[in-house]
Amino acid sequence: MVVVSIAVSSLWVMVTPARETGPALLVVAISVIIGLLMVLVFRYTSDQNAIRRTKDQLKAHLLAVRLFQDQLQVVLRAYARILGGTGRYLRLAFTPLLIVILPLTFLIVELDRYLGWQPLQPAQAFLVEVRVDTPQALNQVALQLPPELAISAPPVHIEKDKEVVWRVVANREGRYNLSIVGAGQPASKQVTVSEGLARVSPIRLRDSFWERILSSAEPALPNDSLIRSIAITYPPRNVTLAGWKFNWIVLFFVISLVAGFIFKTVLRIQV
Amino acid sequence: MKLFGLRKNNARWLLLLVGCLLLFPVRSEAYAGPGAGFAVLSSFWTIFVAFLYSFYALLTWPFRQLLRFRRRRKAYGKALIKRVVIVGFDGMDPELADRFMAEGRLPHFAQLREKGTFCPLRTTFPAISPVAWSTFQTGVNPGKHNIYDFLARDLSNYLPFLSSAQIKEPKRRLRIGKYSLPLGKPEIKGMRRGTPFWHWLGKAGVFCSVIRVPVTFPPEKFPGVLLSGMCVPDLKGTQGTFCLCSTRVQGDKFREGGVRIPIQRNGAKFHSYIPGPENPLGTGSELRLPFEIHPDAKRNRARISVDSENVTLNVGEYSEWIPVKFSAGLGFTAHGICRFYLKEISPELEVYVTPVNIDPGRPDLPISHPVTYSMYLAKLFGPYATLGLAEDTWALNEKVLDDDAFLAQCYSNHDDRERMFFDSLEKTPQGLCTCVFDTTDRVQHMFWRYLDENHPAVKDVPRDQRPKVIHDLYARMDRLIGRVMEQIDDKSLLLVISDHGFKSFARGVNLNAWLHQNGYLVLQDGKNESGDWFEDVDWSRTRAYTMGLNGLYLNIKGREREGVLSAGAESEALKEDLRGKLNGLVDPASGKVAITGMFNCDVIYAGPYVENAPDLIVGYGAGFRASRDSVMGKVTGTVFEDNIKAWSGDHCVDPRLVPGVLFSNRKITAEKPAIVDVAPTILKMFGLDLPTHFDGKPWTIAKAG
Repeated sequence: MVVVSIAVSSLWVMVTPARETGPALLVVAISVIIGLLMVLVFRYTSDQNAIRRTKDQLKAHLLAVRLFQDQLQVVLRAYARILGGTGRYLRLAFTPLLIVILPLTFLIVELDRYLGWQPLQPAQAFLVEVRVDTPQALNQVALQLPPELAISAPPVHIEKDKEVVWRVVANREGRYNLSIVGAGQPASKQVTVSEGLARVSPIRLRDSFWERILSSAEPALPNDSLIRSIAITYPPRNVTLAGWKFNWIVLFFVISLVAGFIFKTVLRIQV
Repeated sequence: MKLFGLRKNNARWLLLLVGCLLLFPVRSEAYAGPGAGFAVLSSFWTIFVAFLYSFYALLTWPFRQLLRFRRRRKAYGKALIKRVVIVGFDGMDPELADRFMAEGRLPHFAQLREKGTFCPLRTTFPAISPVAWSTFQTGVNPGKHNIYDFLARDLSNYLPFLSSAQIKEPKRRLRIGKYSLPLGKPEIKGMRRGTPFWHWLGKAGVFCSVIRVPVTFPPEKFPGVLLSGMCVPDLKGTQGTFCLCSTRVQGDKFREGGVRIPIQRNGAKFHSYIPGPENPLGTGSELRLPFEIHPDAKRNRARISVDSENVTLNVGEYSEWIPVKFSAGLGFTAHGICRFYLKEISPELEVYVTPVNIDPGRPDLPISHPVTYSMYLAKLFGPYATLGLAEDTWALNEKVLDDDAFLAQCYSNHDDRERMFFDSLEKTPQGLCTCVFDTTDRVQHMFWRYLDENHPAVKDVPRDQRPKVIHDLYARMDRLIGRVMEQIDDKSLLLVISDHGFKSFARGVNLNAWLHQNGYLVLQDGKNESGDWFEDVDWSRTRAYTMGLNGLYLNIKGREREGVLSAGAESEALKEDLRGKLNGLVDPASGKVAITGMFNCDVIYAGPYVENAPDLIVGYGAGFRASRDSVMGKVTGTVFEDNIKAWSGDHCVDPRLVPGVLFSNRKITAEKPAIVDVAPTILKMFGLDLPTHFDGKPWTIAKAG
C-alpha cells in the first residue's frame, strides 16, 4: 500500500493543474496518464509478435467468412478458427493483465477515496452507523465527538442489523476523530469536512480483510472490540462532463481506454 | 520456480490475490484497467463481428442459396466434375520433364503420366508468357485478346509501353502553390481483351479461386476471388526496380532493372535511402525513404533501421518483408514492402533492396478481386511478394545477387505461393482452383547455363562443378504435385500445364543490326550504331524495325508516325522479301540456323485487334534469341553475339520448338492439344455452353478410374 500511496502522490503532483480546475479534468488527466502507462506495461510484458500474428489470423478468418460465404463448410471452419483464435488471443493478453491488474486495482481503490466520495460540508448533517456483534451491545455503545461536531438527533437502534445510528453535523472544515466507547476498547473513526477534494474513508472495519483493503482507508478496529464497523455516510461524488453526470469509474474506463487505443496506435503497440 | 521474477511462495500469493480480486469484485476494482479492457473489448469485438457476419450470413443464406440454386443447378447439374484444379508451371518443358521422369526424379509426374495424361501442349505465336497465359484464360488467339508481347509500340513515337496494363495519372488536379493535388485515383486500364473463362463460370454459379495467373492486372470483377500475377507493377510503377546501396563509387544505373544508391558515412552510422514513386503532389521529385545501417564488422553483420523497424542481418542474409511508407506531405503516402539483403560489410558496405512491392495488406493499387482478398492472404500468411516479376532476374544478371541469393529469393516467394495455393485448394471444395507458379520460368531462365554443356556463360566453370539447379527445381515441383494429389479425390480433375517449354539462349541475334546491314533500317548520316529505342534512326528511310522479343514491324504510311511503305502490295512484298531472307538465317560462327520460321501475322492471327500485332513473328532456332540490344531497339555493329549473362535459357524462339506440358489425373483425348483449348475444356467440364468466338476446341476427358 505504501507503493500505491507513493504512486498516487506522484500522480497527484502530475495532475496538479487539473486538480485546481475540478474533478472532471482531473479524471480526464488521470485516465490519459494511466492509459499511456498501461499500454507501455502491455508492450513490455506481452509477446507482441504472437499477439500480432494471432490478431492477423483472426482478421483473416473474419475475411474468409465474407470471401467464401457460399462455401458453407469453409464458413463453419472459419468460425471454429475464430473461436480458437479468440481463445489464443485472450491467453496472450492474460500475462500482461495479470501483471497490471494488481497495482492498477490498488491505484483505483486509492483514487476512489478522493474521487468516489464528497467530503462532508460544514453544517451538513450526516449519519454515523456503528455495527456491533450482539444486539445487547447496542445499549452499551456511546458516541464521543470533538467540539467541532455535534449530535443533531438521538441515536436509533436497529436490532435486526445490530446497528446504532447517530445523526451528526459538523461546524467547520477539518479532519476530526470521533470515538465510540462502551464496547470493549474505545474505537475512533476519521471524519473529513472539506469544501474541496480530499481523501475520505467511508468506513472503518474490524475484520473482512478484502473489504478493508478495498473500501477503508483506516487501520482495522481492535480484535477484542465488540464493534464490527463504523461508517460515515459521505455522499457519493458524480463527475460532470459536457453536461452529463458520470461515476468517475465509468469516465475513467472510457477515457483510459480511448487514450490507450490512441497511444497504442501512435506507439505501434499491439494490444 | 520463478514467475515474473517472484519466488514461488510470493508468486503463489500473487496468483491467489489476483484470483480473489477477480472472483470477488467490489465497486472500484470491477474495472481492471485498459489492459483488461483491451483484451475484453478486442476479443469481444472479434466475436461480435464474427457473429454479426454469422447472423447476416445465416439470415440471408437461404435467400442467397435460393437465388443461386437455379444457376448452380445449371452449372453443377450438367457438370461432369465437382472441382477442377489447374496448376500452372510457367515454362515447364516437356522434354526435360520426360528426361527427369525417365531418371526417376519425378515420381508424382510419372504417376500422372501412367494413370492419366502426359503430352506436349501447343503454345501461342509467339511463345511468351503474357501471350500464352492470355490465350489460356480467354480461349482465343492473340488477335482477339490483344497481347502480343510484354511490350507494344507507340505508333506516334516508336517507343515501347507495357502491353498488358496502363496506369494513368488522375485526370483532375487542384493546384495549390507548388503542389498539384490529385483529385481522384490513378486510372488503371487493362489492355488484355476477351473474357477469362472463370467469368463465365462465376456467372453460372461456379466458385473460382484464381491465383497469380499472368495478365490479370488490373483485377476484373467476377464472382470469385483472384490475386493478380505477372504484370503487377512495383510501387514505382515499373516492372521491378531493385536498388543496390553501396559505399563503392560507381555509376548510378544498371543496364537493366536497377539503380545504385550511394551510402554516406556519418560516424559509426551509415545512411542511404530507398527510391520510391514520383511525388503524387506533382513536384516532379522522387519520394525517398532514408534508412540507417549500423555495421558490426566483428560479427559480420549489420543492423538496418528503416521507419520504426530494426532488423539485424548477417552477411548473405535476407530480411523478412519490411513495411515501408513514403510520405509526400499533406497526408499523401504510398505503402510498400521490401526486403533487404546484406551483401557485403567489408571492405565496402553493400545492401541490396528488392523492388518495393505494393503492400498486399494495404494495397495502394488494386491487386486482387475483391480488394480484401490480398489483405486476407497477407493477414493469414504475412506479407508476400506482389510484383508480377518478383524474382529479381535483373539483379542476378547484373551480378548484384549471386546464384544462391537469387535462388533463396525465388524459393521464398515460391513457398508463399504454395501456402496461398493450398489455402485456396482448401477453400474451394467445389468449383475451380487455379494457380500459376512462376518459379519454374525464372529459375530456368537464369540457370539453363548449367544444363547446356557448351553455354558461353559458364565456359570457365568445370562441368563436374555445375550445380543441378534445374533438376532440383523439377523435383521440387514434383513434390508440390504429390501434395496436391493427396488432397484431391476422384471427383476432381487435375490439370498441370505450362505455357511454353524452354531452350538454351547461347547466342543473341540483333535483328535491328541485320536490318541495318541489309538496308531495311537506316541510321542518320554518320552513325554506325544507335542508342536504345531507335535513337539516331532515320525513319524517313527505314522500312522495317524490331523491338520486343519476337515482333518485326514494317514502317507503314498512315500507321507509323513517319511511315514510308504503302499498306497493301508494297508492304506484302516487303514481308515476303524479309521472310525469304530471314527464314533459315545461319549464324556464321556456329553454322547453326538462327531463325527457323518467319510467320506472317495476317495469317496466324484473326480478330479485331490484329492491327496492333507485329507484321511478322520471328521464330528463332534453338540456342538463339533476340539479343538484349535488339529487344531495346538498339542497332549495333554485329548481328550475332555470345550470351554471357546469367539469363541463359529462353522460350522466345520458334513456338513449334517450345511446347508446354499437359499432365492430368485423367485420360485426355485430343488431337494436338493446345493451350487455347483449356478454356473451352473447362467450360465443357462444368456443363456450360461454349461461346462462339472461342478458338480452342474442348478435349475429351475420361471419367475417373
